[in-house]
Amino acid sequence: MQENENLTPEHDDVHDTHDHHEGFFRKYIFSLDHKMIGKQFLIYGLLMLFLGGGLAMLFRWQLAYPEITEDVAAKLENVESRLAKPLPIIGASDEFLKEYLETGELKPKTMADRYWVNVIESDDVEWAEENIPFGIMTPAFYNMLFTMHATIMVFFVVVPILVGAFGNFLIPLMIGTRDMAFPVLNMLSFWLAVLAAGIMIAGFFVPGGHASAGWTGYTPLSADPEWTGVGWGMNLWAISLLIQGFSSLVGSINYITTIINMRAPGMTFFRLPLVIWALFIVAILLLLAFPVLSSALALLIFDRLAGTTFFTNTSTGGGDPLLWQHLFWFFGHPEVYILILPGMGIASELIPAFSRKPIFGYRSMVYAMIAIAFLGWVVWGHHMFQSGMRPGMGAFFMTTTMLIAVPSAIKTFNWLGTMHKGSIRFTTPMLHAIAFVSMFVVGGLSGIFMANTPVDIAIHDTYFIVAHIHYVVFGGSLFAIFGGIIFWFPKMYGRYMNDTLSKIHFWLTFISFNCTFFPMHILGMGMHRRRIENPLATAYTQDFEGMNIFITMSAFTLGAVQLILVFNFFWSIYKGKVAEKNPWHVNTLEWEAPTPVPHGNFAQIPTVHRGPYEYSVPGEEADWIPQAQPEPVPASAGD
Amino acid sequence: MTHTEVDIIQNRPISNAKLGVLVLLGAETMLFVGLIGAFLVFRMGNVNWPPLSLGDIQLPQLVTGINTFLLLFSGLSMFFSVRYIQQDKIQQHHLSLAITWFLGVAFLVIQGSEWIQLIRQGLTLQSGIYGGIFYVLIGCHALHVLGAVMWLSIVLAKSLLGRFSSQEYTGVETCMLYWSFVVALWLILYILVYLY
Amino acid sequence: MLGWYTENISTYAKGVDGLFALIFWITIVAFILVMLTLILFLILYRHRSGHKAEYIEGSTKLEIIWTTATTVIVFGLALLSFPQWNKLKSPAENPDYTVQVRGEQFNWYFIYPGPDNEIGTEDDLEFENEMNVPVDKVIQLYLTSKDVIHSFFVPQLRLKQDVLPNRIIDFTKFRAQKIGKYEIPCAELCGFGHATMIGSLNVLSQEDYDSWVAENWQPQE
Ligand code: HEA
Ligand code: HEA
Ligand code: CUA
Ligand SMILES: [Cu+2]
Repeated sequence: MQENENLTPEHDDVHDTHDHHEGFFRKYIFSLDHKMIGKQFLIYGLLMLFLGGGLAMLFRWQLAYPEITEDVAAKLENVESRLAKPLPIIGASDEFLKEYLETGELKPKTMADRYWVNVIESDDVEWAEENIPFGIMTPAFYNMLFTMHATIMVFFVVVPILVGAFGNFLIPLMIGTRDMAFPVLNMLSFWLAVLAAGIMIAGFFVPGGHASAGWTGYTPLSADPEWTGVGWGMNLWAISLLIQGFSSLVGSINYITTIINMRAPGMTFFRLPLVIWALFIVAILLLLAFPVLSSALALLIFDRLAGTTFFTNTSTGGGDPLLWQHLFWFFGHPEVYILILPGMGIASELIPAFSRKPIFGYRSMVYAMIAIAFLGWVVWGHHMFQSGMRPGMGAFFMTTTMLIAVPSAIKTFNWLGTMHKGSIRFTTPMLHAIAFVSMFVVGGLSGIFMANTPVDIAIHDTYFIVAHIHYVVFGGSLFAIFGGIIFWFPKMYGRYMNDTLSKIHFWLTFISFNCTFFPMHILGMGMHRRRIENPLATAYTQDFEGMNIFITMSAFTLGAVQLILVFNFFWSIYKGKVAEKNPWHVNTLEWEAPTPVPHGNFAQIPTVHRGPYEYSVPGEEADWIPQAQPEPVPASAGD
Repeated sequence: MTHTEVDIIQNRPISNAKLGVLVLLGAETMLFVGLIGAFLVFRMGNVNWPPLSLGDIQLPQLVTGINTFLLLFSGLSMFFSVRYIQQDKIQQHHLSLAITWFLGVAFLVIQGSEWIQLIRQGLTLQSGIYGGIFYVLIGCHALHVLGAVMWLSIVLAKSLLGRFSSQEYTGVETCMLYWSFVVALWLILYILVYLY
Repeated sequence: MLGWYTENISTYAKGVDGLFALIFWITIVAFILVMLTLILFLILYRHRSGHKAEYIEGSTKLEIIWTTATTVIVFGLALLSFPQWNKLKSPAENPDYTVQVRGEQFNWYFIYPGPDNEIGTEDDLEFENEMNVPVDKVIQLYLTSKDVIHSFFVPQLRLKQDVLPNRIIDFTKFRAQKIGKYEIPCAELCGFGHATMIGSLNVLSQEDYDSWVAENWQPQE
């Protein structure tokens, strides 16, 4: 707890900027260096992206080719032509299944069939037999898949990459200091995150399966194993998130202290790059939001393990099922802005840099972010319009929610203003930034539908919401992440990522992303429910079968395309073209440090003379002036 | 370390350690906002508190009230311990730290014995939401007091070893911040849980 | 695209579709404006040699314009929505019929008060997954749940309301205008049977309804 001033790096004696000999463990595993911790977070997040995405692939298959049970067959018109397709590779063949169902005989036809024969004949009930018999998912397994998909994507992919990786790597470099305020805490933050991920993954292997009450974990469904059949999976889910909370807490203490206290001389708050502003605001949001979730999780664990009844109703002094929703969304809505604000920050770096123009309305950009963060605290009820909360509160939450469109509009138009009369370079990071802006607008505008209480009655808990989620978190956060990775890669690893591959990856992602998620709006208007494993169960959604198959195909393309990124990333670390110190001609301080950035970052702490976006200043020969470049002697400007 | 860096550090209005603890307290506050929110939802959702089904459970208002005074007093002595070290009054500083420590421990002991009483009377964690939220909320605070006492033990030991002076007393100050939080929080909890 | 929208057979919720269409057009216009500007800028201001960007730091006038414009639009929308919302989520003033609905993993149960029009008496009848109502009559619902949260959803009525254990929700009502058979899917994740928790809403003509009533509530000897 007690952080001694001695631990902070400035009190270490001299920080050599040249070679600093450390053992392998100190350097790569238990590193105290903010840059290494940032890279650790990045790789960890990318690995988890594969897990989360892989789960999505599995359940997308199910949505395209759901099982045709008897109830469904009774409602379907031409049953014969529509056959369930078990999961590829591990799924049993049709004939084999048919034979088994009709005669009870096991006559394997394929490799997979042989596997299932083994499973069936073994004495104890195996995992596969319980969850995906013959390659066809059970509904409980489907619920687990999307629950874990969302949990992993939100808590173990987007937050670690945006906040953990970019935050750690960029904050000390961009404000011009040698390291974070508390390097030991910083390392702790990463390893706590790894521990949380380990516990979360362990949940897949416990009896009863992993948490399956949705990433929102609504009580009483999640509070009593009786309702879902999930035992320790749910407990591990809660425990893992508690630990993740500690990790974020430690991280945000570090970020806030560093940004307030350790800026280079001349780096006033209004000379901070916008991405640092965004990370600063996000650190505050994380700091204040996560403990609320922790309190709810603690109560949930008590309910599950110690026999309390906070969220369940029993005859002896029943609890309140809506309490969880209030606590969860009081955390949850600030959380979604945690997912987008750093992305907005990244876009605000990329767009001026590649339009060679100052950001349009720097201060209004800052105030807009503060407004979004602030309003984010009073809108949580918009997730609960149909929850049975007093209807009178709907009006309040609708108004505050729609008000968030105002700062968001300010940001959008300022990005456009930045491009106006610029000199736009279509580099891959810029393409991602443009995609970010346009996809965020789509996602944000669909938010307006849901914010409107009467309209939300129709589309709540339908695929309209799923479309919204993915336009803001994939179209928003992930495009920003991709853009940011390509942009800062030369500083991180001293090499460029392969541009051709990056461009191919961008276009394929952009197209397949829209093919995957845009049709979901239409499903939503047809009131196709979310969180169902069988879209054929209701007659009114059976017409959407073709669309569901199309979405699944696009989703698989989208998933496959990400392999290009991964290949490019790891290949470029070793084989990429070597980059110079400031390849994009950017003003901010991180490009002032030598590449690769040594321990201690700067030979001499830079002094900052101007804001971060001084591009194409009239009368200057170069179209950029680094923040640390001293004024020419007869300086006239004074700010 | 270069000249500018010394400048940066010396010009800080607040030290990293102190700022870090203040930020931490922000998070702690929100943790209790969540728990107190849950308490209020239950409290306001029930006309009878404690619910009639629990029989006549009576929280020990008086003893806990006295205990509250002990804790408030410990906050005061903690505050003075910082004052004294600033003035290099080492003796008084040690004494006030020790008093704080004893009051903190006394608070925990009294609290613990009250809990044993209550459990004997039949109020347990499983006694519906009343017992549940009581033990979780008060218990969470007790854990924080325990943490604070342990932190204080370290500070006290360091202080006795002569590590602090009017030049360097951040360690005492940060502990004082945390201690004040625990005390102030208790006042709110006492009023809400025992008196309301 | 609006053609994909499910048909609407409710009298109360007509306004929902109007609002949907209004927001649809507002957002389409906003989207097209943003995209057109974006594409225009990308083409006009692409990098060309010998061409330098202009140094513009911002414009307070423009900031004020777009801040006010969006504020006005969203407040306008909010004002239009309040009455709709209040109309939809409030108890019926003088309902023609009342039905109690109970969600229970994974079925809907419908409790009809019987001839005495009071729930909790002996002549109540409970039906599993089948709800019969007469066309064009105001039906007041009392919604509850036995175990976890479910959600009573009739797409064609634009009606959706979560049901909670140990609580009765009394501000849901509807009036169906078209005879037919509709589905009542459960819209809130409630466990492994969630997808297949589907009731059936039969909107009958008054005669059919009356004969259904006569069939089930035979005069007792
Ligand atoms: C990064 C994440 C992110 C972001 C940024 C947002 C942003 C917004 N969200 Fe979203 N939201 C989620 C992630 C996010 N959301 C998730 C994950 C869920 C589902 C959770 C679950 O149930 O599982 C959800 C659910 C959700 C709901 C609940 C729906 C339901 O369950 O019924 C609502 C309802 O109001 C909502 C609204 C909004 C609004 C109004 C914004 C606004 O901030 C958007 C503002 C932006 C714009 C409006 C675009 C730019 C503006 C212009 C171009 C100007 C012109 C505009 C006008 C004139 C209107 N969101
Ligand atoms: C950051 C958040 C994030 C991200 C990035 C994604 C990414 C994706 N999501 Fe997810 N999603 C959520 C957050 C996210 N989602 C949330 C919060 C929910 C709500 C959950 C709930 O209801 O509780 C949800 C729910 C959700 C649903 C609704 C489930 C339901 O309600 O029943 C669907 C359905 O299609 C879906 C699909 C996808 C797809 C196809 C991707 C794709 O973008 C994934 C692309 C894949 C990768 C990036 C992985 C990389 C590649 C490989 C693993 C190898 C590829 C292998 C092959 C091609 C075989 N998501
Ligand atoms: Cu009942 Cu979903
Ligand atoms: Cu929200």
